[in-house]
Amino acid sequence: MSKFASVSALAVFAVLAASTAWSAEIKIGSQIPKTGNLARVGGAMSEGIAVAAEMFNKKNGKHTVSVLTMDDESSPAKAVAAVEKLASDGVVAFTGGYGSNIIGPASEAAEKMNKTYITSGGVATELTKRGLKNFFRINNSEGYARALIGMYTELGIKSVTVIYSTKEATEEVAKMLEKTLSAKGVKVTLHAFDPSTTDFKPIVHKIKLQDRPEAIAMIGYENDYVGILRAAKVLKPDIKNISGVWSLATSKMWSEFPDLMNGVAGTSTLSYPAEFTTPEAKEFAETYQRMYNKAPDYLGIFGYVQSMMLFQAAAKAQDAGTIDKGGISEELRKLDVQTVIGRVRFDQDGDNPEFTHRMGQHQDGKVVLVWPADAATGKMNFPAVPW
Amino acid sequence: MNKLKIPAVLVLAYLVLPLAVNGNDYVVSLIVAALTIGGIALAWSMLGNLGGMVSFGHAAFFGIGSYASALLTIKAGWPVLVSMLFAGLVAAASSIATMPALRLRGPYFALSILAYAEIFRIIATEWKGLTGGAAGILSIPRLPEIMGIDLGGKIGGYFVVVTLVIAMVGIYAVIRRSPQGLALKAMHDSEDATRVVGVNATMLKALMLVVSAFFAGLMGAFNAHYINFLEPDYAFSGSWTTLAIVAAIFGGYRTLWGPLIGALVVYLVDQLVFKAILPQGHQIILGALLGAMVLFSPTGLTPLIAKLTRLQRKETANAAH
Repeated sequence: MSKFASVSALAVFAVLAASTAWSAEIKIGSQIPKTGNLARVGGAMSEGIAVAAEMFNKKNGKHTVSVLTMDDESSPAKAVAAVEKLASDGVVAFTGGYGSNIIGPASEAAEKMNKTYITSGGVATELTKRGLKNFFRINNSEGYARALIGMYTELGIKSVTVIYSTKEATEEVAKMLEKTLSAKGVKVTLHAFDPSTTDFKPIVHKIKLQDRPEAIAMIGYENDYVGILRAAKVLKPDIKNISGVWSLATSKMWSEFPDLMNGVAGTSTLSYPAEFTTPEAKEFAETYQRMYNKAPDYLGIFGYVQSMMLFQAAAKAQDAGTIDKGGISEELRKLDVQTVIGRVRFDQDGDNPEFTHRMGQHQDGKVVLVWPADAATGKMNFPAVPW
Repeated sequence: MNKLKIPAVLVLAYLVLPLAVNGNDYVVSLIVAALTIGGIALAWSMLGNLGGMVSFGHAAFFGIGSYASALLTIKAGWPVLVSMLFAGLVAAASSIATMPALRLRGPYFALSILAYAEIFRIIATEWKGLTGGAAGILSIPRLPEIMGIDLGGKIGGYFVVVTLVIAMVGIYAVIRRSPQGLALKAMHDSEDATRVVGVNATMLKALMLVVSAFFAGLMGAFNAHYINFLEPDYAFSGSWTTLAIVAAIFGGYRTLWGPLIGALVVYLVDQLVFKAILPQGHQIILGALLGAMVLFSPTGLTPLIAKLTRLQRKETANAAH
C-alpha cells in the first residue's frame, strides 16, 4: 500500500511538475519569409531568433519559450494569414517580419488581436507613425543615416552625391542625408533610380563629369551596389570614398565580389572576422556557431536582439499575470538595455530612438569597423576606392 | 437539378461555410484570399472565353481599382463601399486606354496588355504626390460595420468577397446567355467567321474588356480595404495575373464556375495541405499537379468532374436496367 502511495505521489508530482512547466512555457510566433524574394534575409533573421530562444531557455529555469515559425512566402496577404494561424496556435506575441510592405499589414493583424509585434526588418518611418500600441522595432532609417553622416563628418567630406533607389526606406535615408548634410554646409546632389535599374553607367557618368563630389553614397540593395560599383570601376570617377548602407559591408559581398569591394564602406554591426567583446556577445557567437556552424551576420544579430527583448518582456508579463492583457507591450516599453547592437529603449511609437549603426570598411577581405571611434576595430583607409 | 444548384450554392456560401470556419481566422483568411484570386480569375476568363482574348495584364486593372478606392477613401473621405464600386468604374475607364491593343490577336494582344500593366505600375510609383510613390499607402480604411456586422472583420470580409464573386458569376451567366454572349463565344472559335455574319467583333470585344476590367478593379478595391496596405509593386504584381490564369485553367476557364472552383482548390490545397507537408518549396507539388491536370484534362477540373459524374450516372442507369 505504501508502495502504491509512493508511486501515486510521484505520479501526482510528475503531473504537477509537467503542468507547471507547461504553464510556464511561452509560445512566441515568428512570421518570416523563408521562400520568395526575401528568403535569404528572412532565413538569417530566423537563425538569430532561434539562437535567442536557445540562450533564453538555457538561462531561465522558470520561464521557457517555444518559437512557432511560419513562412510568409514574402507576400503581404500570406503574412497576415501566418499571423492569424500562429495566433490560433496560441502564440502570445510575434518576432520576425521582413520588408516594410509585409510588416505593415502583418503588424496591423497582430494589433487587431492586441498582440505584441517586434521586428528589425522594416525601417520605413511610417511604420511607427500608425498609432499602433503593440508595434516595436529596434532599428530605423535615422540610425542608418546617422552612421553615414557621422563618418562623413569625421572625414571632413565637403561634397557628396547620393544615388538612391526609389523604394520607401532607401528614399527616406537619402532625404535624411540631404537634409542633415546640407545643414552642415556639405554640397549634396541626389540621383534617384528605379529599383529595376541594372545599368548605372549613365548616372555614374553624370557624377564624374557634372557633380564631381568627394564621396558617393549608395542607398540601395545588394544588386544595386554591385551595379553602381561595376559602372564606377569602368568610368573611374575621381572620388575619395564610396559608401552604402545595409547588406554591403559583409563577408558575403567580399567573397562574391572581391574586385569591387576593397575600400568600400557600409553600415555594419560587427567586424569580420567577428570580434565579440562582451560576455553576452561571446555567448551569442558561440551558440550561433554551434547551431549553424558559421559566424553570425548582422541580420542574425538583429533577430537575436529583438527576440531576446521580447522573451524577457513576456516572462515579466507572465509573472505579473498580464501576458494576455497587453502586458508584454507594457513590459517592452519599460525596458532600457544595453544589447549587442547598443542601447535599446522604445518611445511611445514603439521606435528605438537610441539606434545608431556603425560603419565598416572592406579592407583586404576583412570588414573593419571604422566609425564610431568607441566601436572601431581599426583605422579607416581614406582616400580609398576599389579602382 | 439545375434549379437546385443556385440555392445550394447560396446556402453553402452564406450558411454552411461561415458556420464551419467561424472562429478560425486563419482558414477564413485563406478562403478570402482564394476568393479574391477567384474574382480576378473570373474577370480574366470572361475575356478569354467570351472573345478569345488572352490577357497577361489583369494586374493593371486590379492595381488601378486598389489605388482608386484607397485614395477616394483617404483623400476624398468617401465611404468605403461607394469607393469600391467607383474604383471598379475607374478600372473600367482605364481599360479604354488599352483598347488600341484590341487590334492585336493572340500573343501580341497578351504582351501589349502586359506592357500596359507595367506602364500603370510606373505611373503609380512616380506620381508620388497622389499615390505616395514606392512607399505606398499604409492603414487604408477598413470595410465598415453594417447592421451590426463588422465587414472589416474576418467573417465580414468573407461575406463581402463571396457576395462580389457570386454577383460576378450571375452577371457572367447573363452575358453568356445573351445574343452578344453567343456571338462572343463564337468569336473565340473563329473571329473571321463571326465578322462575316455581321457581328461587330471589335465593339463586343471592347465591351467585354470594360466589364472584365470593372470586375478586376472591384476585386482590387476589396483587397485594398481588406489588407489595409498598398504599394505599386504589390498592387500591380504580375502574380495577380498569373495566379488567376492558373486558377482559371485549372478549374476550366470556359465554364461558369470553373475559375472560382479552380482558385479555391489551387490556393486552399496549396496552403492547407502542401504547405503542411512541405513548409518550404510546397509550390513544387502544386506545379506537378497543374502539369498533370493540363496533360490529362486540358479543359480543367470542372469539366472533368462533370464528365466523371455523367459516367457514374450512366453506369448506375445501366446497372438498373
